[in-house]
Amino acid sequence: MAPINKSAGKNIEAETVLQAVVLADSFNERFRPITLDMPRCLLPLCNTPLIEYTLEFLAVAGVQEVYIFCRAHSEKIKDYIKTSKWNRSYSPFKIITIVTPEARSIGDVLRELDAKQLISSDFILISGDVVSNIHLEKVLNAHRARKNIDKNIIMTMVVKEASPLHRTRPLGESSVFVLDEKTHECVHYESVELYPHKRSMVMDMEVFEKHSNVQIRNDFIDCQIDICSVEVLALFTENFDYQDIRKDFVYGILTSDLLGKTIYCHIVKDAYAARVRDLQTYDAISKDVLSRWTYPIVPDSNLQEGDSYEYMRGQIYKEQNVSLSRSCVLGEKVIIGSGTKIAENVKITNSVIGRRVNIGPNVKIDGAYIWDGVTINANCTISRSILANNVVLKENVIVNKGCLLSYDVVIGPKITLPPYTKLTKHKQSLDDYDVEVKEDKKEDSQEDFSYDIKLIGENGRGHIWNDEISDIDDDEAKNIKVATLAYDISNLSLTDNESTASEISEGSSDEESDSDESNTLEIFSKEVSQTLERAFSEGHTIEIASLELNTLRMASNTTLRDTQIVVIPTILNQVNADKLLPSTKDVLTRWGPLIGKLIHSKEDQIDALFTLQKYCAKHDTNSKIFAPSLRTLYEIDVIEEDAILEWYYDERSKGSIGKPEIYSKLHDMVYCDSIILVSLL
Amino acid sequence: MTGTRDQNAQIESLVNRLRRRQVVGSWSVSLETALLFRQVVSVARWNQVSVLINLVKDVGRRLVMAQPRELAVGNIVRRVLRSIRDVYNSEESSSNINLNKTSSTAEEVEHEDDDDDDDKIPQKGRTYDLQNYGGQSSSSASMINLLGDGSVGEKRASLDYDRKKMINELENMYVNIADQAMEHIHSNEIIMTIGKSRTVEVFLKTAAKKRKFSVVVAETSPTYLGHEMALSLSQAGIDTMVISDSAIFAVMSRVNKVIMGTHAVLANGGLISVSGTQMVATAAKHHSTPVVVCTGLYKLSPLYPYDEDSFNDLVAPDPVMSFDEGELIDKVTILNPYYDYVSPELVSLFITNTGGHPPSYLYRLINENYDPEDTVI
Repeated sequence: MAPINKSAGKNIEAETVLQAVVLADSFNERFRPITLDMPRCLLPLCNTPLIEYTLEFLAVAGVQEVYIFCRAHSEKIKDYIKTSKWNRSYSPFKIITIVTPEARSIGDVLRELDAKQLISSDFILISGDVVSNIHLEKVLNAHRARKNIDKNIIMTMVVKEASPLHRTRPLGESSVFVLDEKTHECVHYESVELYPHKRSMVMDMEVFEKHSNVQIRNDFIDCQIDICSVEVLALFTENFDYQDIRKDFVYGILTSDLLGKTIYCHIVKDAYAARVRDLQTYDAISKDVLSRWTYPIVPDSNLQEGDSYEYMRGQIYKEQNVSLSRSCVLGEKVIIGSGTKIAENVKITNSVIGRRVNIGPNVKIDGAYIWDGVTINANCTISRSILANNVVLKENVIVNKGCLLSYDVVIGPKITLPPYTKLTKHKQSLDDYDVEVKEDKKEDSQEDFSYDIKLIGENGRGHIWNDEISDIDDDEAKNIKVATLAYDISNLSLTDNESTASEISEGSSDEESDSDESNTLEIFSKEVSQTLERAFSEGHTIEIASLELNTLRMASNTTLRDTQIVVIPTILNQVNADKLLPSTKDVLTRWGPLIGKLIHSKEDQIDALFTLQKYCAKHDTNSKIFAPSLRTLYEIDVIEEDAILEWYYDERSKGSIGKPEIYSKLHDMVYCDSIILVSLL
Repeated sequence: MTGTRDQNAQIESLVNRLRRRQVVGSWSVSLETALLFRQVVSVARWNQVSVLINLVKDVGRRLVMAQPRELAVGNIVRRVLRSIRDVYNSEESSSNINLNKTSSTAEEVEHEDDDDDDDKIPQKGRTYDLQNYGGQSSSSASMINLLGDGSVGEKRASLDYDRKKMINELENMYVNIADQAMEHIHSNEIIMTIGKSRTVEVFLKTAAKKRKFSVVVAETSPTYLGHEMALSLSQAGIDTMVISDSAIFAVMSRVNKVIMGTHAVLANGGLISVSGTQMVATAAKHHSTPVVVCTGLYKLSPLYPYDEDSFNDLVAPDPVMSFDEGELIDKVTILNPYYDYVSPELVSLFITNTGGHPPSYLYRLINENYDPEDTVI
């Protein structure tokens, strides 16, 4: 009997091998410039590579097959996995590394995965930088139980309950989940980024019809642990434009009427789960690990072979073979790796110190992350910064909060680094990929000339790194900035931010414009102006330009009015300021018909006039072109006489918005002009 | 050698399970360790005792390093080492052989009845005895170096038998301790306990078969193990009352006896026990209430608590303070120690599977069970 039972058991096992897909690439640049040298999942968190936490989590969950997808630095990840304990014969799971150099997003990876046909049943999709002590079995069981009730379920997202401004919640990229109160079915998803600031969201009325109780939650940590069914991969392949699993996929599935698939949330209350998304969460999760929220995944359980951490009173973790001087003071939440030497009168609080670190006398360290092999000479002060492997600080260096010193940077002596300085040994070029490729070719001798000695000191080595230079748009840069280490919430200029939001809505002027549309409107207007500029430079015909504009308008579901609000100023921007009158006439006779294409009724014409007036009222120089442009538009039959008169007698045209004096001036000017016009008739 | 690879995988799996806290509790940890060592010792190839001792020490060290808080792992390793040394020493003094062997055969016969799943070991044991009787003169000639295949085979069988005995002891431990319940619990007594200990649970339930008494259970926050304990006792028909931890001192004046379990017993008789025990023991001392600790011998560790913190374990602060309190947890340090250290002066009596002993007697038990050389593995 016994052997038969065994084989039967094995068969069942073979049918339902628990598979996990680990995304070892973050597809963003939150950790630049450190990630120029090392992939994010191999960065140390409390002296243990991040991926180690994820794999440990999967091992505890009883996963049998793990696929690791990597893109950047794939060789390093491959080597790491090959030599790690997970590749041994007694590893709890089979581990396979797959390199996808072309993948630009999570969507690409999942499409690739679908093409490879590796996944046979429900699988765990997890990113390679998750720290968690959840019992995943419970989640899996809950997922299966839900599947029995609701056949359409394709995904369960694991979220951890926290509070809206929790330190472990990424400020730069968080999200709002709308759940059914009873079943925890996710009925709507909205990603919330700090920039652009979102002040409202749109939900389908159907949601309220279908669900009697709906919770809108803005207090979840999205830890990017998903239980997915195989259909998820197929859906990604079908919708080849899905990039992000949350912003595109979840949002897309939930807003689609045709698919009828459902997604659920699993809310974790008593266990810990979080994802290292940016430097801010790196800081927070390090603290969580040191204050043992992640128990049993804590330093003194020695995840890696050869670790020998021991817990000491006051949340101090010390490995064997650490030499501490008599007079040094270790405060709370400190972890020190082996081979580290700490000299006299050193004070360390709230910090992670790696292995083989040399700390000279009278050094003060607070809230810093000092990785392996760093040398800190006498009298340095470091607060709330990251010093990557082999950084050297010469004597008397002060590193202020939020600094990021990447691999092999040398600073000093006698230098004070301003807050939020990012330094790397690579020179920043506009094309990000060049940096990665040239990395090996670049020699120190070549670089020596270009160091900024004032910033990093006589013997310093390292280049400054600016997030803003790279060609990502401003909002992304701002979000990255918020996500940096030690970013003070009080620094957040939300008021400033609101003014930008209102500026956008000013563009769409009055009462019916909702600020939630401002986001799409903004994108739309950007695209429209880009289209027009292309038309100007390449000399398109009016027909082609209007066709393009119409396509854009349809795609983003905006009104004619929104379009002409953008189009008129863009066309008028073409006017040459030196020869105002002739060039206005030239530009408008060439492009005026395009405005005509956007204008169909008298109301449209009036609106166009208001837009024109508003544009002209912005500056004094602009005001001069009002009369000639009005005349030209009249001459080419874009605007008719009735509309001009109606506009003229409208109260608003007399200066309710914008700079009143210019308005009234324009009004008067038109008065003269319109008399001319009328007399012309 | 698939055998050694298998074994390595087994060791590694236990190491990992210990580290990940998938095996918890002194009893299950000890049983797993004992089962593993039975295999390690029986599969191992050795021709000198020192080789075997080193091998056991190596494996033991890995297990202890994996989870230093589970002192029972180290205790089992030490007992394995002790029994290896004993077999070795008995060989040296041939005069003892007869005595030892006859006594072991007698015990073996007893055990054979309840062991039907694995019948190889007793047979081996028998051959061992036969060989011993036959080759007594030769064995005394090669006393000191234990070479020669026959001799190693004998040792192997004997060791295997020792392992089996130890596993048996673990399996029967609860019954052995509970058998003494009648001597300690009298009718109409009020007994206080804290936490959830299987030993105490079985002990009280055994007593309840014949005696009528009531039990006060402290709820043992933040784990609230007391709730489970109280439920289990009341289901067995015992008059049970749950009190909050803060009421321990107030209720103590009415309690006749404190009976509790422990996680480990240290060399000086101090306890490493679930947090809250210290409070119960101190309150009992104030009211001169006797404190009785039920524990299997495998929990007795030869380690001395030079620093009482060193055996403690700090678990996630979740139950004490919710993680939702985002801004607060940034500013305060929250410690959630799982264990208390209770000094030996507060304990009146230990009830072990070999009988009742006062704390002052523990040093003798330690000497009986462990070799002083093995205190540090």
